[in-house]
Amino acid sequence: MKSNRRRFLSLAGGAPALSPATAHAIGARGREAMEAANGFRAAPVFVPPPEADEIRISSNENPLGPGAAAVAALRGAYGSIMRYPMNAATSGTDLRRRLGEMYGGGPENVVLAPGSSEILRNAVRVYTGKDRPLVTAECSYESPKRAAEYFGAPVKAVPNTGSLGLDLDKMAGAAMGAGLVFLCNPNNPTGTVHSLADVTDFVEFVKKESPYTAILLDEAYYDYVTDDSFDTGAGLAMKHRDVFVGRTFSKAFGMAGLRVGYAYGQKDTIAKLAPLALTFGTSVLSIAAAMGSIEDPEYLRNEVKRNEEARKFTLDFFSGHGLDPVPSQTNFVFVDIGRSARSFREACAEHGVIVGRDFPPYENSHARISIGTLEEMQRATAVFAEVLGLATTDNQQ
Amino acid sequence: MLSRRSFLNRASAGAAGLTAATLVRSRLREQVAFAAEMGIAPEDAINLANNENSLGPGPEVMDALDGLLGPEGTIAGRYPFRFLGPVTEAIAEKMGVEPDNVLVGAGSTQILVNVTHQYASAEKALVGSLPTYEECFGYAALMGYRTKAVPLTPEFKMDLDQTLHACRGSGMLFYCNPNNPVATLVDPAEGRDFLGRALDTEKNLRILVDEAYIDYVTTPGHETMIPMALADPRVIVARTFSKAYGMAGLRIGYAVAHKDTIAHLREFHMGNSVSTPSLVAANAAIERDRANPDFLPAEKKRNAEARDFILKFFRDRGYSATDAQTNFIFTDVGMPVEQFQSACAAEGVRVGRPFPPLWTRCRISIGTMDEMQRAAKAFAAVLDSAQKMAA
Repeated sequence: MKSNRRRFLSLAGGAPALSPATAHAIGARGREAMEAANGFRAAPVFVPPPEADEIRISSNENPLGPGAAAVAALRGAYGSIMRYPMNAATSGTDLRRRLGEMYGGGPENVVLAPGSSEILRNAVRVYTGKDRPLVTAECSYESPKRAAEYFGAPVKAVPNTGSLGLDLDKMAGAAMGAGLVFLCNPNNPTGTVHSLADVTDFVEFVKKESPYTAILLDEAYYDYVTDDSFDTGAGLAMKHRDVFVGRTFSKAFGMAGLRVGYAYGQKDTIAKLAPLALTFGTSVLSIAAAMGSIEDPEYLRNEVKRNEEARKFTLDFFSGHGLDPVPSQTNFVFVDIGRSARSFREACAEHGVIVGRDFPPYENSHARISIGTLEEMQRATAVFAEVLGLATTDNQQ
Repeated sequence: MLSRRSFLNRASAGAAGLTAATLVRSRLREQVAFAAEMGIAPEDAINLANNENSLGPGPEVMDALDGLLGPEGTIAGRYPFRFLGPVTEAIAEKMGVEPDNVLVGAGSTQILVNVTHQYASAEKALVGSLPTYEECFGYAALMGYRTKAVPLTPEFKMDLDQTLHACRGSGMLFYCNPNNPVATLVDPAEGRDFLGRALDTEKNLRILVDEAYIDYVTTPGHETMIPMALADPRVIVARTFSKAYGMAGLRIGYAVAHKDTIAHLREFHMGNSVSTPSLVAANAAIERDRANPDFLPAEKKRNAEARDFILKFFRDRGYSATDAQTNFIFTDVGMPVEQFQSACAAEGVRVGRPFPPLWTRCRISIGTMDEMQRAAKAFAAVLDSAQKMAA
């Protein structure tokens, strides 16, 4: 009998071992991780075993995982494992109440999901339809677009600006009569951010000119933003019906493996999204860990600082070699490498560095590289230099 | 054989620095709010409301889960997708099927919703008994699907003739066997015959066989419908780790079906919904089954003994209870369930809510023998008091 346990233990070390079953079963943000590991989109392939020192900077994960308070809270919930989440020591309602409080609301202003992917999909299900298109950016997180295609709603994908930000003016125009606007701010995969003032103008305009259009402000990367002009759109969500904020514990909180995301908005807005939420979708351990992490702001501060340093190092590396990275406000950078993302990805993988997948329409020029630890980025940039032929700076092509 | 209670009682879990006190405190905290409300000591509160397994998943599972997290919990920062494949394979191996016959979900809930979404509609009805587990009917109501709810027989069993009739022209049959909340099982031979006839009668019908409680069935001859599911793409079996495996809080279950059916379910499936610790725990439970084939039979026996005890309690007092094949019983309590429920709560015992239209019958989950003995005292007080009031 083959030893499944041994296989498992080896996986804990960081091996992306995908079976065909897995590859098919990945959805949304997990798909992104899978595709990044594979170098193929939604293709069921086996991935060779990794080198021990492989650097995975492909899925915008926090390389350090959750903070000590979150892990302690998770362990503290072991005694609730046999209980459904409503009976757990820390229940889903407790977490919703705590999250609601953070924005001056209550549990009725929050719906939980096993990762924010479900929030994105349910937003599409609730607000779009055959005559109510989804508005998104051409280069943005694709999950809502995929959901709209699956559920049969038209998609208006607005080209990004020259600096790869969201074209808010054109998106506002496209929003007239639309069902839902997906506004990913900061934007994945470009790493760009728009100020609260600009987002406020956008929301106010759309809600005035097209009152029945819903707006999802995806703030998955909120915590990593260091630009002072940016802030959460939670206030806009509280002010306007059918405007809501999507958040996740998968990024700065370091809990991608725990599957906790949520949406925040007016009670009536949340009441539209909540019925489609999976009943007890989030595990009692994940709920407890999320709760614990909220009470540990110092971890978050340190993580943001750590990421900012490693991000600056990475951005400086590219600009120092005459390349043109998009100024990033996230835990990844999007950089014009002057060649296909695929060829870059495959070359990096040969050196044990796993970087992001294709992001059309920039798949022939840009790569998305997640920010690992500073030490990982030092090793990774050495590989980038070799792969891109940047090692000798006086001989750039 | 390791006692599962040692999960809660052992002094230390080694590397993780877990202490029994931590576990017990945490476990009890869930009951504190309830107990405070009722004015009783937390340790005296007993939850028999949600068909959970109060013994938890056992030390092997906890060790695996805790060991994977390690001191820093770093692995939790990575998406779980790398663990999904191995767990899918482990489930397939345990069930004697191929990985492409298995779909893992966040509890069997995700499977139930998925199947309902794919196979019922406004035109093609969802068929099931009244009452039965509500997830599918709840989703159908939300989506505006057509539904046909078939009343039970006087023995609180599925009415197979009427159900067969309802399946004509319908899209999906939800076949919860044993049936929650009434605890009854379809006779094994009749069940197989019925499912075959239903498929013959309506060639577009899909049948979702919910086997959440199969590990607690003590009726001789009862078998899983997995072989039927493998042979016929129209049959899907749903399973969960929430019941006998004691992991309701970890939210993991799965479907077994023909590979074409699984492929169709995957189109709608959110495949990244199960957390890494949950996947690892499920894998550890399967490994234990392999290493210790006595685990599940022992859990079945333990549950049956506590179930027999509490069934005898009600029947001795003249209350008719159904033939329970689950980790709960369904019994007449001689008063509106809501009244019984609040009277029991005042005694520190939570029992099931009403399941319309059976307003005077209560669903009571099976805890440990100790919990059931203490609960029986509470039930006696409540029933005696009601009789005195009536007299």
